[in-house]
Order: sequence, then C-alpha cells, then structure tokens
Amino acid sequence: MNRFSRRTTVLGVGVLTGVLLTTSGCLNGGGGAAQVSDGQGEVGGNIQIAWWGGESRNAKTNAVVEMFTEANPGVTTETQSADYAQYFNRLNVQAASQSLPCVVQMQDRQVNDYTKRQTLMPLDEMVASGAIDTSQIPPAVLDGGRGSDGKLYFIPYGIAWDALVVNTTLAEETDAGAPPEEWDWPTFVEYLRTAQKGLPEGKYAAPAGGQLQNTFYAWAVAHGIEVFNAEGKLGFTEAQLKEFWTMWLELQEEGVSLPPDMAAEEPPGADQGYLATGTTMVGALPGNALYVASQTLEGTDSGGELVSRRYPDGPAGIGNILVASGFGIAANCDNVPTSAAFIDFFTNDLEAGVGFAADNGAPTNTAVLEALTGSDSELPELKRAELEQYEAIVADNPPKVNYPPGFNAVFQQSFQRNYNEAAFGRQSVDDAVATFFAETNASLG
Amino acid sequence: MTITTVPEPVLAPSTTPRRRGGGRRGQGWAAFFFLIPWGAGIVLLTVGPMLYSLYLSFTSYDLLSAPEWVGLANYELMLADPRFWKSVRVTLVYVVVFVPLLQVVSMLVALLLNSRLRFLTGYRALFYLPSLMGASVAVAALWRQVFGAEGLVNAVLGVFGVEGVGSWVGDPNRALGTIIGLNLWAFGSTMIIYLAGLRQVPRELLEAAEVDGASRLRRFFSVTLPLMTPLAFFNVLMGTINAFQSFTGAYVVSGGTGGPVDSTLFYTLYLYERGFTQLQMGYASAMAWILLVVLAVVTGLFFRSSRYWVHYGDES
Repeated sequence: MNRFSRRTTVLGVGVLTGVLLTTSGCLNGGGGAAQVSDGQGEVGGNIQIAWWGGESRNAKTNAVVEMFTEANPGVTTETQSADYAQYFNRLNVQAASQSLPCVVQMQDRQVNDYTKRQTLMPLDEMVASGAIDTSQIPPAVLDGGRGSDGKLYFIPYGIAWDALVVNTTLAEETDAGAPPEEWDWPTFVEYLRTAQKGLPEGKYAAPAGGQLQNTFYAWAVAHGIEVFNAEGKLGFTEAQLKEFWTMWLELQEEGVSLPPDMAAEEPPGADQGYLATGTTMVGALPGNALYVASQTLEGTDSGGELVSRRYPDGPAGIGNILVASGFGIAANCDNVPTSAAFIDFFTNDLEAGVGFAADNGAPTNTAVLEALTGSDSELPELKRAELEQYEAIVADNPPKVNYPPGFNAVFQQSFQRNYNEAAFGRQSVDDAVATFFAETNASLG
Repeated sequence: MTITTVPEPVLAPSTTPRRRGGGRRGQGWAAFFFLIPWGAGIVLLTVGPMLYSLYLSFTSYDLLSAPEWVGLANYELMLADPRFWKSVRVTLVYVVVFVPLLQVVSMLVALLLNSRLRFLTGYRALFYLPSLMGASVAVAALWRQVFGAEGLVNAVLGVFGVEGVGSWVGDPNRALGTIIGLNLWAFGSTMIIYLAGLRQVPRELLEAAEVDGASRLRRFFSVTLPLMTPLAFFNVLMGTINAFQSFTGAYVVSGGTGGPVDSTLFYTLYLYERGFTQLQMGYASAMAWILLVVLAVVTGLFFRSSRYWVHYGDES
C-alpha cells in the first residue's frame, strides 16, 4: 500500500507539474518579433471578426460581412461584438491566450497597448503588395492607424471627432440664444453663464466638463499644449491641468454645470445621456452621435432641436482632435490573405460603405464619403450635417494626439476620479492634480 | 452509554479463482481510475490555476507578454497603494454592516413566515423570489434607476414632502448604502435556512417555557435562538465569505469604476480593474492571494469562536 501511495504521489506531482508548465506556456504572451506578411494568397476558409458597438452598428457590420462572404463564396466568418469598454477587456484575455480573432477593430487610443506587446501584425507589406488598397484614404488620415513605432497596424475606416452639441430650443429661451458657428474658450464659458440665468430649475447649461478627457484635450490643443510628450508621459504641467479643472469647478459652484452626483449617475451612451433627455443644454459628444441624440430628444416630453458646434478655438487654433477607428490583423492569425481581403472590402467597397452609413465616424475612403454627402445620398439630414462638420474640421488641419501605451488602462479613469475628488470637495484641486499625475505617469509609456 | 459490538461478517470462501496481480492492488487501480475525472478537475481547474496565480503574484505580468519575476514587489506596492487601502476599507465596512443586517432581516422574515397566516405558501414564494434574481446585472441596472436623482425612491420621498435629496447612487456618502440594500434584497436563501430551522424547534420546549411563564420574547431568546445557532453559524460564515467576494452589484451600479470617487470600490472590483483593465495580472494575483489568506483566517476564527456561541441540541 505504501508503494502504491508513493507511486500515486509521484504521479500526482508529475501531473501537477505538467499542468503548471502547460498553463504557463498557454498564458505567456507573444514576446518574439511580430509576424510580417504581404497578405497575398488564396482567399478562403474561416476568419473571426471582432468589433465594438451597439445594436445599430452590429446590424450594419453584419450586413457588410454578409456582402463580403457573398462576394467570396469560399469564405466563412465568425463574428464577435461587445460594447466599447468590455470589448477591450475581452481582447486582453484573448491576446493573453493567443486566440485573438484574425480581424480586430482598433482605435488609435488603444493601438499602442497592443503594438508594444506585438500582438498585432504590421500591415505595411500588405499595402505595398496591393492586398489592401489605401489609395482612397488621405495619407494624414491613414497615419491614424500607425503605432508609435511608425508601422501601420490598422486601416482607419471611420474618423470620429468630439463636438459640442447644443439644444437650441432651450438656448433660444434664454438670453444666450443660438450658439455662434465658432467660438473661443472665454466666449464659450460666458455663453454658458448667460444661458444658465434663463434656464428653468433642474436644467443645466453645461455637462461636468472637468471630468471629460476629450474636453481637456480640446482645451489643451487649442492652447498649444502637448497632451503626451515624446517619452509617452504627460506633456502638460500640473498648473495647466489645475487651470482647466478650476474653470469647471467654478462653473459647478455657480450651478452652471451638472453637479457631481448627477454626473456620476449619467447613463452611458449619447442616446441616453443628459443632453439627449433634455437635462443639459450643451453636451460634449462624439460628432457622429448628433443623429442618435436628436432622435432620443425628439421622443421626450420637452422635445428640442440639437445643433453641433466645433470645440472652442484657442491661441494655437482649432481644438478638435480626430479619433481613428479601423480593422487590424492579429499576430496569431492563421488566415492572413482572407483577413486582408476583408479589411480591403470593408474600407473600399462603395456599396458596403454606403450601407454602413458612417456609423463609426466619417468614412476615411473619400469615394464613400462623397457618395454619402452627395446630393443623391439617402442619408438623413442630421447625419449629413455630421459629415459636413467633419469636412470643415479636417480642412483646418487638426492636430494629432499620439496616445502612448498604458493610456487606455489608466488615463481616463484617473482623470475622471481625481476631478471628482475635487468636485465632491473630498480633496483640494492641488491634491487631486498631484494624485492624477502620480497615478498616470506611473503607468504610461 | 452501552457499547454494542457488531460481529464481523463471515465471508464465504470465493469459488472464483483469483487472477495474478488482481485483488486489492487491482481494486486500488480501479479506484484510482474512477477518481481521474475528479482529480483532473481539481488539478486542472482549481489547484493548477491557484498555484500558477501564486507564481504570478511574484511577477510583473501584463497578460500580453511573458511574466517577469519581481519577487515581493507586488506585495510591497500593494501596501503603499492608497486605492488598495480604500478597497479594503469599503469591503470591511460592507462586511461589517451587510452580514449582520442580512441575518436580522432573514430571521425576522423567517419568523413572520413561520406563523399561521393565510396564503403562507404564496408569501414564502414571494419573499424568496428576489433571491432567484439575486444581485444580478438586470436588478443592479434597475437599482441604478430606482436610486437615481429622479428615481423611484426620491419620487416616493417627494410625496411625503421630502425634496432635494439628490442622487443616492451618485453621492459618495450614500452609494455604498444602496449596494448594501441591493444585496440585502436577495435575503431569500438565508431566510429559507432559518425558516427550516424554526420548523425543527421542538414544540414541547416552547410549551414548557410558556408554562413556566416565559414571555414571547423570552422564549425566542432563551429557547429558539440557542437552537438556531448552528444554522446562524452556517449563514454568518457563508454570508461573510460571500460578502468579502461581492462584485456584481458594485460593478453594474458604478459602471465598473467603483465610483463615485471610489466609494464603492470593493476589493474584488479593484482586483478586476488591476487585472483586466490596467493589465497588471501579477498585482491582481497578489491581491487574490491576500484575500484567500484573509478568508482562511476569518473562517478559522469563526470555527474557533463557535465553541462559545454555537449550541448543538445533542450536547450534554
């Protein structure tokens, strides 16, 4: 019996060691040099495609996927989608087990988290070989898909931008009136103060702008401040952030912007937020969300009309920045030619682009953009207004923000949390700024 | 006490010839063979990952590249991390408030349902219903609406003239209270255990106490409650372990942030954020092991203390 126990023990230890070695092998990420492919080869077999988005985008993306498989009868697809935040959490787990879908949707704000770990395949060779055609995408827009090493990791198909959306029905009931076409920061702040005086109780002229990172970028770039420096750390100073936060804390104190407890419970999504439900007069939304926010507002008791305005200009010019989204190919992909063919189709096929209807920002493909903005376009009026605003912003050559690795993991949450520490009066603005700098710089780069 | 000796059964000699190498050893291997599914499960799905996470807790591991040995650095970082201590504080407050409240509410409802009311079965089902949904994502999302600035709770308060209360989930001083309320709502499982215990309390003991002139309250504290302590021990222990690991309600109500301003940053929520949002799986593993050790110590203390307050009916 003793002999049997010894054997069992030895066997058990052996199995356990095997399991640990296997598990550690499975969980170790890439580490080696990223694969390079020219994307040429037979288009067929199965590919997995992943993206983020809600119901509307899912339906439109699935329709394009169907068009692709109809055009390529030998191809089968498996699709995955999730909302924005959950999408990247899931991607991280898949990347850890080297089981990323072949085609993954990326954004310039996150891409360096993945390129640093070499989990995405550079696409430069595929563009050079013609497997992916980028001739219809302006070079400056295409650069949105490059990592910090200069290589192209995703092909931007949509460009989003943040805009200030104003409920003109509410605004015109006050002395502020309709918003001007362009403004600078002092004019904008004064506009909000004037409007608040004429708004009914329970309505606020502005959102809690101090907690919105995109509003800060707009303020920073308009003032010529670099958001991230060449080392991938924070490029602005504590004094500059303090100035921005103090401006919004004063508006909160005056009752012009949303109180922090209401801001904390604001439902996510442009179609459910306070602008769409008529609680705030001005909202900071992705420019391509004007249409969905308008649809919600129309359905409320108060109703109302929304118009979109660019962010205030500053001493350094335009405050708007562009955010690029597109598809890349995972380094672990075993069907590169088909993945490249799909990306090429999604980006360049005119029928597919028109069917997708600029659901994730303005199309980067100029032919698709022209088709959507042309006189015979069936796009709703507000959706066309969105695209016209994009064209106006692009014409002003907006600056590009290079997001370093670690940005997605820490910056946004830390920015919001530490502003609110000051907004709830739990910390002085100096302490909140110092904590934000300590937390964020430790994780960036 | 008498001891009865049971005679050993006399086995008839086997008529089947034994194979060489069979017998006990063969049976041992057969047992081993049948244990393989269980063994594989425990090794592959429990012990293996646990030991691997122990190893990871001594590494810097971002999920996307290979782990790098850093020794005790994660544990040292944890001690100096203000948000770690915030999450400890939030979790301890939650455990200390929630677990006793859960026992009191469950016991009170069980006492109510142990009486002779009409439609009692219907009431029992009704009170147990929230447990089936529990602190699920749907319920937590609903909670966000109910306790919002313009939610149901404030509307009801408005009827009684209480205005300007503000948001419950958006106020850092009240947000944790709403999570406690959310999880307390699913008291059904604990209540059912107490109800089963109440029905086992011997009637003759209660009647004897009544004959001796004991009031209803006295009968409860001197007869019913002592007999319920084994069940209370089980409920408190399980409630405490679950409370330390509470996650879903806070995750949904706070939108995954533990906000506002970390007021609902439960330990497990921070662990998740570190692991899957900030990609610091080494740090998250270290947090998981600290939680395991704390739970082991708390469980040990409960068992140690049980000799002083848990009374089993068969004790002399």
